[in-house]
Amino acid sequence: MSDVFAQPEWDRRTLLRRAAAVGLLATPAVSMLSACVSGGSDEPQDQAEGEKSNTNPLGVDPKAPLEVIIFNGGLGTKYATDVDIPSYNKLYPEAKVTFSQTTEVGKVVQPRINAGDPPDMVNNAGAGLMDMAAIVKAGQAQDLTDLFNAPSLDIAGKTVKDTLVPGAYDQNLFDGKPYVLNYAFTVYGLWYNAALFKKNNWTLPKTWAEFTALCDKIKAAGITPFAYAGANAAYYQYLAILTSAAKIGGTEVLKALDENADGAWTAEPIKQAAAAWAEIGAKYSDRKFAGLRHTEVQLQQNQDRVAFYPCGSWLENEQAKDTPAGFEYAVIPLPSVTGADKLPQTAIYAAAGEMYYASSKGKNPRGGMEYLRHMLGKANAAEFTKLTKVLTVVQGAADGLTVSPGLTSGNELVKAAGSDYFGYRWPDLYKKLDTECQAATNQLMFQGGTADAFCARMQKAADAV
Amino acid sequence: MSNLTEAPVGPPAAGAKSVGRRPDVKREVNAYTGLAHIALFLWAIATAGPLIWVLLSSFKTNTEIFLGQPFALPDSFSFETYVNAWNTAHVGRYFLNSVFVVAVSTAGTMLFGAMAAYVLARYRFWGNRFIYYLFVSGLAFPTFMALVPLFFILKGFGLINTFTGLILVYIAYSLPFTVFFLAAFFKTLPKEIEEAATVDGASHTRKFFQIMVPMAKSGLVSITIFNIVGQWNQYLLPLAIMQGAGADSKWVLTQGIANISTSAGYQAQWSTLFAALTLSILPMIVVYAIFQRQIQAGLTAGAVK
Amino acid sequence: MRHGKYPFIIGFLAVPVALYVTFVVAAYLQTFQLALTDWSGLGPITYVGFDNFVTMWNDELFWRSVQHNLFLLFALPLLTIVIALVFAFLLNVGGGTRGGITRGVRGSKLYRVIFFFPQLLALAIVAVIFGRVFSPDQSGMINGLLPAGWGPILFLADKDLALLCILVVLVWQAVGFYVVLFSAGMGSVPQEIYEAAALDGASRVTLFFRVTVPLLWSTIQVAWVYLGIAAFDAFALVNIMTVERGGPDGATSVLAMMIYRNAFEFSQAGYASALGVSLFILTLAFAALTLRVTRRDAVEL
Repeated sequence: MSDVFAQPEWDRRTLLRRAAAVGLLATPAVSMLSACVSGGSDEPQDQAEGEKSNTNPLGVDPKAPLEVIIFNGGLGTKYATDVDIPSYNKLYPEAKVTFSQTTEVGKVVQPRINAGDPPDMVNNAGAGLMDMAAIVKAGQAQDLTDLFNAPSLDIAGKTVKDTLVPGAYDQNLFDGKPYVLNYAFTVYGLWYNAALFKKNNWTLPKTWAEFTALCDKIKAAGITPFAYAGANAAYYQYLAILTSAAKIGGTEVLKALDENADGAWTAEPIKQAAAAWAEIGAKYSDRKFAGLRHTEVQLQQNQDRVAFYPCGSWLENEQAKDTPAGFEYAVIPLPSVTGADKLPQTAIYAAAGEMYYASSKGKNPRGGMEYLRHMLGKANAAEFTKLTKVLTVVQGAADGLTVSPGLTSGNELVKAAGSDYFGYRWPDLYKKLDTECQAATNQLMFQGGTADAFCARMQKAADAV
Repeated sequence: MSNLTEAPVGPPAAGAKSVGRRPDVKREVNAYTGLAHIALFLWAIATAGPLIWVLLSSFKTNTEIFLGQPFALPDSFSFETYVNAWNTAHVGRYFLNSVFVVAVSTAGTMLFGAMAAYVLARYRFWGNRFIYYLFVSGLAFPTFMALVPLFFILKGFGLINTFTGLILVYIAYSLPFTVFFLAAFFKTLPKEIEEAATVDGASHTRKFFQIMVPMAKSGLVSITIFNIVGQWNQYLLPLAIMQGAGADSKWVLTQGIANISTSAGYQAQWSTLFAALTLSILPMIVVYAIFQRQIQAGLTAGAVK
Repeated sequence: MRHGKYPFIIGFLAVPVALYVTFVVAAYLQTFQLALTDWSGLGPITYVGFDNFVTMWNDELFWRSVQHNLFLLFALPLLTIVIALVFAFLLNVGGGTRGGITRGVRGSKLYRVIFFFPQLLALAIVAVIFGRVFSPDQSGMINGLLPAGWGPILFLADKDLALLCILVVLVWQAVGFYVVLFSAGMGSVPQEIYEAAALDGASRVTLFFRVTVPLLWSTIQVAWVYLGIAAFDAFALVNIMTVERGGPDGATSVLAMMIYRNAFEFSQAGYASALGVSLFILTLAFAALTLRVTRRDAVEL
């Protein structure tokens, strides 16, 4: 009588040792497999091409099918299925547009790129997005110069490039050429409930001293003055820190980070900003937020348990289902830190985000580019904003739309800022730094870290890149 | 004889020792029984508690889930989230896909795994050990390492986004565990019956299907359960394989839930996520509860020779 | 019958081996190959020899991850097996001998069903559930039960507690299966042994250590190996449940998590493959070592 899983004749020890040997002996056979995994084929496949004309400036083949893949996240996919695809089909009714959506862009698209059969237009977004720099480096992204020089879809007399918000075009560049379209225009600031503030007669702060004084009042009222989600969205906070740094020292501070210049992270403005925010974290927030996710913190704000929350203009849409009636989203720029900030208080972080690109090695790269041109049409962009409550890079497309308080407030923010807005790209260029900065931020804000430690830690990581 | 059944046994041997010890034993029994009950009860709460929470939360709004008391009753018991999960999130279709894929894959895994394990366990031939260790070494690698190469392989066969491809991959990746345990099990079966069948002129194949398999029932049952559970919960493999245009009609349940989960991350539909989770857990629990007796019997019966 | 043996063997092995080699072995072998490159996951592949392994050796996060894996490696099998053995014992033998039949405590049948539930859940689902259990807020299940004033415990956001939380969840999920497994083993212990032990005046504790455990030794051994392999993985849990996905600040980073991030986020598929090879070697080494150290003559009945 023996139990179900008795020992086999040969004992297990030798079994596993020999299994290892088998694994190693089989490695020479690897050379046979080198043909299997390839980095993408270099032979150009037959790509669709048509005659250029006024209505077809990119030379799209009107009959060629088009495949687009959209990330299904905060923006949903309705703008693609209900606006952009019909728009494309209106001009090219014979072209069959295949649409698919996913929540894991990288895992779904990357193998197809490697197999030489990528989709024509890819919305590279979400937590699982692919490294855009790597895609460009591998020659997989279509050069969009023609797109931006083409005439706009529905704004007469202007090229696509001219219709964009100033500065948005530059964010599409890699080595001086545009390879990606950053479509959404997001503004960042401190979000709050305008109704709550009105009720309590709280005035919005413009200087740091006003900010801390107000936080004292809010704390006295039993509300947590400030919070961010340490568990999965610490990058909202480091954005706030770096925004303050840019206001103190000018946009060169951020440029140095993008270029990973020597000592960029230990610059004085960054230190000052970090110190100021560390104080806020220590006095006006709570350690428990280090373990909360962004949806949880945002819910707390909806219930008026948190006053200020640093975020981008997608916030209102994201919380749409849970925002109680009477809650009015509004946003203010970060208060000035020192008395001698280089940029005015109205300066904000605003950036184009949400990447879309056309596959250069796909079957229909021109169709992919044309699709992007349709997205940049003014009417389509306005529809996008209506559906998602997010602004696009198409200038003036959202003028006159009063969809919601948050959108209105965001729009005002943009207008007040004028040309004083900036962004940075180093998290996309150096992904490991992004991870490091999130950890460093949490340490700074929730674990009593110092500004010096923050800067030193980031510099060390930046030097290793 | 299994001591878990109600089979009668002879009267306990009487002896001065046991009589004399009875009072001690009784005290000891009470203390242990009390502790035992507490421990078991606590663990049952720890086990069932989270599941009850998921069920309750599937009826709650986000605010209730994240800001309210965890086990408070929901404000309303509308089944909207379940309907939502079934229709909009297509949980119904994914559920059926999962059932189909897992049923065929488990059958295939058990068939081929048992065949391979049987041969490797009971026949001596050149290359036996090499093949056996080859199977076993597959246990030591994390599955997601294989995703990118696997995609290429399947593409070469034209099996991307097909149920055939997915099933073949499920079977292949379940073989190491199956072969490992079943080989060990087949090893222990007695040779006498087999030899008798050989003398009677049964072919190898006949011997396998008509004699060895029935004798090995308990081992087969337990490994089948493990395979069903493992394949039902498999996420990475379908993610890499079932993609492309129109793939979502072929998704399995885990992908559907991940989809809602990510949407939940962005659009905060947590209650729908929990409704989908409940829908995916319930069948497993029901099946297990119903077949629990057979499973137990299957597992222990094999111990009896 | 010697003739006809080989066709039979080949016939039975053909399909499984073919499937396995095509879909599994081929895929894993390419990992070994990629470990020697600096492939980003896209684009051309260039060989760099053992550079990745050198980087790995110098990578502080790698050693921390290995440390965490080793911790799980010892704690997970130990805790799971001990708890599962105790529960299996209670459910099968712990009720004492009544009328000569050993049986479990009252309610055993119900307990056996409930205990198996966690096994039925995908690890991803478990991660979501326990994210709520451990929430550092009043709404968390554990924090909600604490009396006010004891302060919310940060759990997953606490550098010292985070890894323990992961361990707890892994144990929670694993125990059920091993209770069933050990129950099956205990079921095969013949009645006479228990009777003899009772005759000798053995308490249930003695019964447990002197009778049950030795008889189940080979099952325990297999369980230990299999749990160890699970400890080397732990990826799904860390990915979904932890703060900063491996945090706070690397406190819950495990090898599998590092591999995943390098492959799919940092565009360093070559380095990720090298890490994968290390994981493979570590797993095999562990399994071989465990079997060596726990080797005992099987107790024959």
